[in-house]
Amino acid sequence: MEARSGNGLAGTAPAVPPLRVAWDDLVRLFAHVPFGVSLLATWGLLTLIGVIVEQGKDPSFYGGAYAPPIARLILRLDLDNIYHSAAYIGIIGLILCSMAAATFTKVIPRRIPRLNPVKIDAIPLHATVHVAGDAQTARERIAAFFAARGWQVRKREFGGTEWTFADKNNWARRGVLVAHLGFVLIAAGTTIYWAKGYSGQFAVLSGQTATIPENGTTVALKRFAYRIDPVQTKAGTVYQPIDYVSDATVTGRDGVAHDAVIRVNHPYDANGTLIYQATYGFAIDFGLTKDGRPIPGPDHPLKEGEGFAIDGTSRAIQYQRFVGTIDRATGQPGADPRPNDPGVVIQAFDGDRPVGGALIPLGQPVDLGAGYKLDAARYVLYSGFQYRYDPGIPVVGLGALVLLAGLCISFYFLPARLFVQVRDAAGGGAEVGIAATTVRGYEVFEERFAEIIEAVRLTEPAAPQTEVTTTPALGSVV
Amino acid sequence: MDPTRQLLDQILLEVGIAAYVTGALVLFGYFLTRRPLLRAIGMPLAIVGAVSQFAELGARWWMTGVWPLTNLYGSLSLFSACAVTIFVVFAYRYQIDFIGGPVLALAAIALGYATTWNEGYMPAVPALQSYWIKIHVPIVITAYASFMVAFCLSLIFLVKAAAENHYRRPSAGMRAVAAGAASGANFDVALSAYVAPPTFGNIRTDTPALEAAAADGDATARWFASLPSLAKLDVMQYRVIAVGLPLLSLGIITGAMWAKEAWGAYWQWDPKETAALLSWIVYAAYMHLHTRPEWRGTRTSVISVIGFASIVFCYLGVNIWISGLHSYKM
Repeated sequence: MEARSGNGLAGTAPAVPPLRVAWDDLVRLFAHVPFGVSLLATWGLLTLIGVIVEQGKDPSFYGGAYAPPIARLILRLDLDNIYHSAAYIGIIGLILCSMAAATFTKVIPRRIPRLNPVKIDAIPLHATVHVAGDAQTARERIAAFFAARGWQVRKREFGGTEWTFADKNNWARRGVLVAHLGFVLIAAGTTIYWAKGYSGQFAVLSGQTATIPENGTTVALKRFAYRIDPVQTKAGTVYQPIDYVSDATVTGRDGVAHDAVIRVNHPYDANGTLIYQATYGFAIDFGLTKDGRPIPGPDHPLKEGEGFAIDGTSRAIQYQRFVGTIDRATGQPGADPRPNDPGVVIQAFDGDRPVGGALIPLGQPVDLGAGYKLDAARYVLYSGFQYRYDPGIPVVGLGALVLLAGLCISFYFLPARLFVQVRDAAGGGAEVGIAATTVRGYEVFEERFAEIIEAVRLTEPAAPQTEVTTTPALGSVV
Repeated sequence: MDPTRQLLDQILLEVGIAAYVTGALVLFGYFLTRRPLLRAIGMPLAIVGAVSQFAELGARWWMTGVWPLTNLYGSLSLFSACAVTIFVVFAYRYQIDFIGGPVLALAAIALGYATTWNEGYMPAVPALQSYWIKIHVPIVITAYASFMVAFCLSLIFLVKAAAENHYRRPSAGMRAVAAGAASGANFDVALSAYVAPPTFGNIRTDTPALEAAAADGDATARWFASLPSLAKLDVMQYRVIAVGLPLLSLGIITGAMWAKEAWGAYWQWDPKETAALLSWIVYAAYMHLHTRPEWRGTRTSVISVIGFASIVFCYLGVNIWISGLHSYKM
């Protein structure tokens, strides 16, 4: 590569290391807006797949829900767990890299531009106003005009020509940076949770106690209550849940027991760990007999989805769901979920193979064959809780606020710069050339620019032969 | 429920629908004919429709004591009322009256569809019994509504750009002469002309073929030329999306805060959350590309249309067809 040095001697530029060239190319690629947007598009596509394809289900679910080739594709490409896949996390990482590259190579240099002279006529938004007086006094008046209207006025001299620069909302040029800083804070807060936080869930039967393993906090459920109301709608009676509430005693690491009433939307704070009312259900005490004699069955009330094996056989029973009211006329589950005439739906398995299911009224033993009888004796309400300790929350919250602030700054405060050059006019008076640029193009500022020019024209004492020339876009400002 | 109050609810709903349908027809007439009288009739109808809808939602709240946005009926009602309100505000500020027809037509369709989800007066389920519902839902719905208005502007942009492309095609005779010359007669209308030295000597004239045809007496071209310039339409879209995107961001943030309070995690990859994120990504892409002069115009308008499709998917598709924490399906 040939280059001419400052002293006029021809020379060879120092060779740039190939690694440096590759790095510069990489940074340029990542800072390229269409590349960043293509990453966003890929992120969007993966997110869309995650919305459409049910996430985190058992592989057998996809076999049943989709055609075999699609099910295989979902499982092979990890589309069943896409949000935690390497591709998804990788694309977010690439977007962060793209943001960083664009911030340091494009956004900062471009958003805070230097004061440089321009060719006023080459800028689409420009106008020339002829005013009275010599150039020096006109320049002072114009500077005072913009300063009085809240513009930040600065003067510079380039090659013997004086320029006046007027900036509005110059501070708002940092809006994009502020918005991206918000993302960084959100990412930092999330990282704090990954590093220091924990979460989980547990269920407690009424009268029993559960312990949060990470911090030893115990939750003793005194009572769980729910309220479900029948509501008359146009489509008929529906049973609407109104309230779920757990009456519990929570003992934290300090060993002090506290009474806690935990509702949906009202978590209990146990020394920084929040405990949430998540779900509830009906645990069932199952009894098993063979030829009329009790035999070992489950040793604790079973929750929905749990099961037990029948000793001495290859068979197992799974408790699938609770039925509050059995419609006696049809023998099928009724609409009312409240336990008026309750029963349970069970499924029998031989090995892994389902061999039959039944709806069993509570307290009425059902014959399983071969002398076995199963009795769903009674139900016990249980409450399901979630818990979470998240020290990153304040940082995430701050990040969200910063992000919003950045968006608002970027969208609602338009940084604009006026380039003003005042010269003595040939026929007397002075010629004021004004051009405007903004960070969002010209059209967005066209009306405002026309107002500014009109205000200059009305404020300034006119030259003996006043004349305003503008681009055709501002043809109305004459 | 007091039948008199129910009647009030019904009357307000019917007034809203009637005002939207009539207003849409009148403003479509204004769109086609540019008769100021039609605008003078249509705009008050739009206002009447929005006011009656807000009043209807308020009346529901007053009658039942239950925040009316706990179901799809309530949220769709608010959506159409907000869309019309945003349209009226922007029409007053930026003279976008010409999109009143499509906006009111979509509002009427949304409200008509909402009535199919009107089950009556239902109490809220425990998860919705939170002050967050009064913050999160209106913010998100207002964001959706502003995207709908932007969508209408984008459509008009694309139609006008397509008309410009149509008129830029050489005539049959010209095509015969130009055969063999790879002139690329059909070219995309972008707004780069605004930044590059004006190609046509006039930065406002970004549809020179339309204006030339209009000057030659082509009635269709004259009609298209009377629409705001493509650059103006682009700026209007941008301004409306600049209202919607911060609101959508705020909606996602408030939704996360609510989820944190209700379920213990501010992000659970629920289909609704991720669909909202998807919409946010699309509009973030719009904003990023809008910084590039060569992308401003047709391409960003297409992205705006895609963005609104993603909003419809997020708002209705996810709620109705996909199971999740925001699902309405039984």
